[in-house]
Amino acid sequence: MLLGIDVGGTHTDAVLLDRSGLLASAKVETRQDDLLQSIRTALGRIRQTAGDVEVQRFNLSTTLCTNAIVQDDLTPVGVMVSAGPGMDPEQFRIGDHYEVIRGALDHRGEEIQPLDLDQVERCASRFLDQGLRVFAAVDKFSPRNPGHEEQMIDALSERADFLTAGHQISGQLNFPRRIATSYYNSAVWPLFNSFANSVEDSLREYNLFPQLNILKADGGTMPLSQARRTPVESIFSGPAASVMGLMALCDIEEDALMLDVGGTTTDVGVFAGGDPLVEAERVELVHRPTLVRAMKTESIGLGGDSAVGLDGEGLLVGPRRRGACLARGGGQATLVDALNCIAEECFGDREASVQGMHDLGAGLQCSMEDAAQQVVRHSCRRLREQTMAMLERINERPVYTVHEFLESRRIEPRRLYLMGGPARVMAPYLSREFGLPVIVPQNAGVANALGAALARPTLQAELFADTSRGNLTVPVLGRQETVTRDYSLKKAKQDLAEDLCRHVRDSYHWTVDPSEAEVVEESAMNMVRGMHTVGQDIRVKCQIKPGITPEFEGVVKCACKELPTG
Amino acid sequence: MQGVANRLGVVFFPAFDWAISPTHPERQERLLYTMDQLKEEGVFDIPGIDEHRPDEAGMDDVRRVHFSFPDTESNLTPSHLISAGGAIKAARLFMEGHADKAFALVRPPGHHAMKAVHGGRGFCSVNIEAIMVEYLREHYGVGRVAIVDTDCHHGDGTQDVYWHDPETLYISLHQDGRTLFPGSGFASELGGPKALGKNINIPLPPRTSDEGFLHAVDEVVLPVLEDFQPEIVINSAGQDNHFSDPLTDMNFSAQGYAALNQRLDPDIAVLEGGYSIHGALPYVNTGIILAMAGMDYSYVREPDFDPERLRQDNKTREYIHQICSSARQSYFNPPTSGISRDMEDGYFIRSKDVFYDTDFITERQKEHLLDCDDCPGLLLIESSSTRRKNCLGIEIPRGACQRCRNAGETYFDKARHNESLTNMQLIDRPGGAVRRYRRE
Repeated sequence: MLLGIDVGGTHTDAVLLDRSGLLASAKVETRQDDLLQSIRTALGRIRQTAGDVEVQRFNLSTTLCTNAIVQDDLTPVGVMVSAGPGMDPEQFRIGDHYEVIRGALDHRGEEIQPLDLDQVERCASRFLDQGLRVFAAVDKFSPRNPGHEEQMIDALSERADFLTAGHQISGQLNFPRRIATSYYNSAVWPLFNSFANSVEDSLREYNLFPQLNILKADGGTMPLSQARRTPVESIFSGPAASVMGLMALCDIEEDALMLDVGGTTTDVGVFAGGDPLVEAERVELVHRPTLVRAMKTESIGLGGDSAVGLDGEGLLVGPRRRGACLARGGGQATLVDALNCIAEECFGDREASVQGMHDLGAGLQCSMEDAAQQVVRHSCRRLREQTMAMLERINERPVYTVHEFLESRRIEPRRLYLMGGPARVMAPYLSREFGLPVIVPQNAGVANALGAALARPTLQAELFADTSRGNLTVPVLGRQETVTRDYSLKKAKQDLAEDLCRHVRDSYHWTVDPSEAEVVEESAMNMVRGMHTVGQDIRVKCQIKPGITPEFEGVVKCACKELPTG
Repeated sequence: MQGVANRLGVVFFPAFDWAISPTHPERQERLLYTMDQLKEEGVFDIPGIDEHRPDEAGMDDVRRVHFSFPDTESNLTPSHLISAGGAIKAARLFMEGHADKAFALVRPPGHHAMKAVHGGRGFCSVNIEAIMVEYLREHYGVGRVAIVDTDCHHGDGTQDVYWHDPETLYISLHQDGRTLFPGSGFASELGGPKALGKNINIPLPPRTSDEGFLHAVDEVVLPVLEDFQPEIVINSAGQDNHFSDPLTDMNFSAQGYAALNQRLDPDIAVLEGGYSIHGALPYVNTGIILAMAGMDYSYVREPDFDPERLRQDNKTREYIHQICSSARQSYFNPPTSGISRDMEDGYFIRSKDVFYDTDFITERQKEHLLDCDDCPGLLLIESSSTRRKNCLGIEIPRGACQRCRNAGETYFDKARHNESLTNMQLIDRPGGAVRRYRRE
């Protein structure tokens, strides 16, 4: 049996399922000041319905770390960075304890200035005197050569509760992002770690002993043991949970869009040939871009509770939210009120919605019905414009080879999947606006929890080999070895796929076939010095992509019938 | 983080799958380490610095500029069109206000491609700056343009394309042609009879350092630009003046390139040469990007940078001062005597031989410019090369008078019946058309 819980901003959803389908579900309000209690309440409800059950796997999606970062509820971190030539590393200062250590590597990872170990030692002592117990060590070009980061870690490890070394976070080159990501990883660790302990305690109390996994922003899971090392990867798992939920409910095989219409915002997700788009450089936290891999989703500032009004130019919907809609006793007409006037089923106090649209109609010099229609059409138009702008940015992303320039496929959505409260009423309008068939999956109310429950592990790793120097690194897997001159791209791809699968098997307790490790980037370039080829620069990026747990594929599939185009 | 003073659009296209030949300096690997440095610095995350995908230039964009023999298609690859399209994209970002400045960090380069093209020379087959400038003129009505070429090799292609154009100021800073390919770019090359002084060469001696380059910028380039009042300033940002470049003998540094860029303050920069792919390009490009964005670049230094070792001696300094003062003179007071003004039947004529080192072709050209009082004048180029004999290019220039327009049309129609000519191309700028004729 699988258990999935998604702790969202407003609601905490839980589902329990086995291979026959959904067994129980629960929705409780999230207590922002006590997420653990929200989880316990949801668990309690599930047990009320399902009784004593044996849960093999429990996947949890939680806003714990996101909230801590956004609300600046962080543990102070001692940050050591080493930079070398380029941008002034002071530009990337983060937190209250940030020191630049002398020493430098170049872009090949060759040492151009040794790390100043005396300075490292002095800095470590000062950090400890200041009472710091968690640290981050980040060096420019550490994915090419983690040596300097390891020296910094060595100076701290015996006296630290927790340490993040930049190269363990990602093999992507981006020093400022590596600094921010490592800092946040250490800064949320104490909170996450004790939360993880409490969750484990609660499960024991309920007599549950599942394998516990945490949902990541890329739609995959990581085991709790890994999450205790990289808690930062648990941020922004909410939009990923809804994308995964949609994948659990519907067979998506083509280019498609997901619009999840919430209260304040609408989240847009993009599928290419049935796979959700994932980006390694996606998540931005408090204006700091990070290296956390995430679903390519964007939030549009327009949702059911967006306030409706008039300004000099005409109709205005959102982005402001001024409390509840009229139908729920609020003071300002919202998109939900407009939908309430055109929907067959009414919601709350329909008369209040009608009055609101009536008043709006007076301002627009049209009937109540026209006003409601205009609000909905206006909203749909904005959703389309911003969604198309997002698609354009995706389709116009830079490419670095003539082949990609000429051959790269544009994403052209064939279907629109709608989720969220107002989805059903908006469907015909959005269908007309986008010119696409629309599908509103059933069970969408617990899609996020389903997505969490059914997600499987994901992992990405980068391999870099330089056959002239004879070295090879896979930073996130901690692999460093020597290679011979005849090491090839073909061998590198095979090695990395095997490494990735072995790691997932050993650390994630999950069996994947190497064929599931997908090569997403590869290059091999001759390195010429003078007139001679001295070796090859080989790079491979490989991933185990997000997906639904294979043996549970189809168990919660709903009738995803296209609604007639409006 | 420090903000940008100028919003900068960077069109980065390293063409990782394109090379002239496997061990050629213009090979796949050229911008690999530059990419690594830029990515690791996180420059594209800086608010106000955005990375863009290039456009693809169309054949029309190339034919508007070059007489290509036997035809445009056979003288280029898709990579050339993307490189030129990258320059066009940079120009569009600037013109449409998406960025305050733009940098086309693209390859292959273009500044050795001349008006008439029979093949590749100096690693170039199409002149990407000229294609960009003429695109700007065609689509945005831009008039006066200044191109400041800081590649170490004289940009003989750009000089040739704009030799007769009084609206285009071309200034080249390069290593003296007596010591380096292409062997041209002397102070006496001042532009055609109708554009005298609009072509300025500053041939610098080997081992010129930051001080010398910046002196030339301060003493020649800036005052000349101030006087010329261009609508757009373009930097042909070749990077082979670097002290570590394997093909040249200069002592310019990343700090120097950034300072030059800061003083020149170009609207658009376009990468040209630069073949120290490991020790120079990653740092020089970072420096140029930060300088263009108006950010601090003081930490951008090569690992082996030693200003003492690169300092220029007194003799070099004096020589540079002398070169610069004469270059300045030739713009503000172009000489009236000693300039070749050979004429035949009312046309100024110029003959030259061109060697295409990349494709090993030799070409003999005779150029005729109609001495017109009302416009820049009809241009005819008769060209024969070891690859294609008896070709003819006719250009009715921008702003051509009716007489020159008629003469150009008549000339082309007559030439089509001339059995001895093999390939013809008419570029009719006022009419916005190109006509081609090929005799099989």
